[in-house]
Amino acid sequence: MTALNLFTRDKKPAASNTGWVSVDPDSVPSTPGGVSSGTDNTAIIRINHLSKVFKNKTKTVIAVNDVSFEVQHGEIFGLLGSNGAGKSTLIRILTTLLSPTSGQAFVNNYDVAKDPEKIREIIGVCAQNYTSDVELTAYDNLEFYGKLENVPDSILPDRIWELLKMAGLEDRAYMPVRTFSGGMKRKLEIVRAFIHRPLILFLDEPTIGLDPEARREVWQQILMLNAEHTTIILTTHYMDEAEKLCGRIAFVERGRLIALDTLENLRKLIPAGDLIEIGVDHMDPVAEEAIRKIDFVNAVSVVEHAVTISATNGSRVIPAILAVFEDYSIPIISISIRSPSLEDIFIYLTGKGLDSGEGHETRGSGRQFP
Amino acid sequence: MRSALAIFKRDFKKFLSNPFMIMMTLFMPIMYLVIFGNAMGGTISHIPVGVVQEVPPYNDTALFTSASYQLNHISQTNAEKLLDVTIYADEAAAKQDLINGKISAVIVIPSSVSNDNAIRLYVDSADSITPPLVEAAVTRVLLGLGSHNPVLVDKIYGDIKYLQFFGVGVIMMAIFTSTMFGGGIALIKDRENGIHEGYLVTPVKRSSIIFGIISSGTLRAFIAGFAIFWIDLLITGIALQSFQDFFLVVLVILIACVGVTSLVVSFASRFSSQAEYSSVIAFFNLILFMTSGAFYPVIGMPGWLRWITVINPEYYGVHALRSIILRNQGLNVIGIDLIALLIFSTAMIILGIVTYRRTLE
Repeated sequence: MTALNLFTRDKKPAASNTGWVSVDPDSVPSTPGGVSSGTDNTAIIRINHLSKVFKNKTKTVIAVNDVSFEVQHGEIFGLLGSNGAGKSTLIRILTTLLSPTSGQAFVNNYDVAKDPEKIREIIGVCAQNYTSDVELTAYDNLEFYGKLENVPDSILPDRIWELLKMAGLEDRAYMPVRTFSGGMKRKLEIVRAFIHRPLILFLDEPTIGLDPEARREVWQQILMLNAEHTTIILTTHYMDEAEKLCGRIAFVERGRLIALDTLENLRKLIPAGDLIEIGVDHMDPVAEEAIRKIDFVNAVSVVEHAVTISATNGSRVIPAILAVFEDYSIPIISISIRSPSLEDIFIYLTGKGLDSGEGHETRGSGRQFP
Repeated sequence: MRSALAIFKRDFKKFLSNPFMIMMTLFMPIMYLVIFGNAMGGTISHIPVGVVQEVPPYNDTALFTSASYQLNHISQTNAEKLLDVTIYADEAAAKQDLINGKISAVIVIPSSVSNDNAIRLYVDSADSITPPLVEAAVTRVLLGLGSHNPVLVDKIYGDIKYLQFFGVGVIMMAIFTSTMFGGGIALIKDRENGIHEGYLVTPVKRSSIIFGIISSGTLRAFIAGFAIFWIDLLITGIALQSFQDFFLVVLVILIACVGVTSLVVSFASRFSSQAEYSSVIAFFNLILFMTSGAFYPVIGMPGWLRWITVINPEYYGVHALRSIILRNQGLNVIGIDLIALLIFSTAMIILGIVTYRRTLE
């Protein structure tokens, strides 16, 4: 737990009343996961041309389509994609719950198809749905999983208390999980997956359905676990979550890997510049064309009532853009300027937003910035 | 009104969207009618009885010959004949067969027709339905032959009330019902809640999961069966005769528990919805219980229903428990029941492992 102490030193008295060891996720983006605990550049997961096809009588679905990548030891690796993009299928293959249709995947040099037992010994999994027994107490749940994970009886009680403390659930140890809030359940599930100190921790949508406060607490917990040199694979469709936690991010869309890099490098994929967002009631295609012609404007896209303009040195271009709106008598409801976020990169790469698998298609598909 | 209609429409749509449940809803009452009606209301026929001539004399008397013939040919309206008569040369051998459950009664015919030479009737009183029928038949035949011998009835297991006869069957029912409903539904719920998937990402062996599930289910069923056994003894006032009887009861309950639990494990692994599982299991439970002989002697069931008893493990369980608890019989009688239960349990363990394993893949 030496790595933990490193975190307890800095900030947040607020954490003490929850029993939560303080790690401020806001302090992390500059040194996102993996960097903080130090990756050692050895691949702990290798995936080669992995595919998974689901077939039934009427339909064939390619959930994972020829995906190859590596995850480094000690990093927090983010798998991002909209609902149904294939993230969970990928995780289920890596955690030996599904076998691949073709291709190979190695976890710590063990082949998922040949050595599933070996892999199960070194991984911890926190599934998307709660899998704790809600009728048992928090302590009993941890004890049960400790036994399944072969934690020796001599150290199990201490380990359970350590984890309960880590999750801030000491005072609820003997209460049935049924009485827990969503955030408390999630924190219990995450520490439960960590009971045998796995080399790799898989977290499938760890903060789905949680309120902002609970999400922050779960993030703190994930950073703490990573600080214990645990490699963490995290799937999410929350951009802020990936930005706060992940060292490297893989975008998955329709079963394909469409980009994989650090956030910094991913940002470079979008043409340099700022994003100016203008809210309007309606947009005139002729005005859109006029804006495109302004110097330093790289791209223009219109999604419903929002015009998004990518421009080099945005603040200087604004007057010219406003003039166009004036000329075409289009009333402006709102205006903002910002640097591109991970979501913008995702939209740039896939042509759609993250919150829905189908909806939110922007005009044209994919790469509507030039 | 609009909202009431919306709720009506939604409920009805859900009802129609599950043809399986609709089928089961219709099927259940029909099965009740067919199974319950036939298992309970059937006319009892072909009761096996032994007839023996009291010695001396050493050759058959006229009374013996005609009484045996008449007894063997008692016809019933709309049913097969009442008794199947076996002639015994030796009274001791006949009684031995009665004790071993091969026949239901022994009728000992005296040498002559006179008021002080009673006809002795030994009946298996552990079965509360057939003895009065045999007694009535004997009286009728004697009247027909114009003989006035009194009939002395010897209930070889004493006075056993219907409550006691039925009570023993309830022990088996407790095991089956508690396991099928309690255990099976808990298993499906665990699967629905992803608890089984949680096991699968841990290094625990598949065989350990199955072994754990079957053994915990067996213990649960055993507790139910064992508790009902004691409650049954208290309510019906039966006393066990020996420690061996107690041991045999425990053995029968245990083997039945393993079998039923494994059956439930395999059954529950094939169903994803609790409602569907419950409706099928309710149906199964009905058939098994009705044909187990717990309510009514199997001998009163129509032939086709009796075939179900042959493959019904609950029948063997009820028969074994009744033989031990009410008749103080030993392995020589219940051996066949134990073998049947063992075959059932072994087959179910294999089936349970295979089907449950498939859900883990």
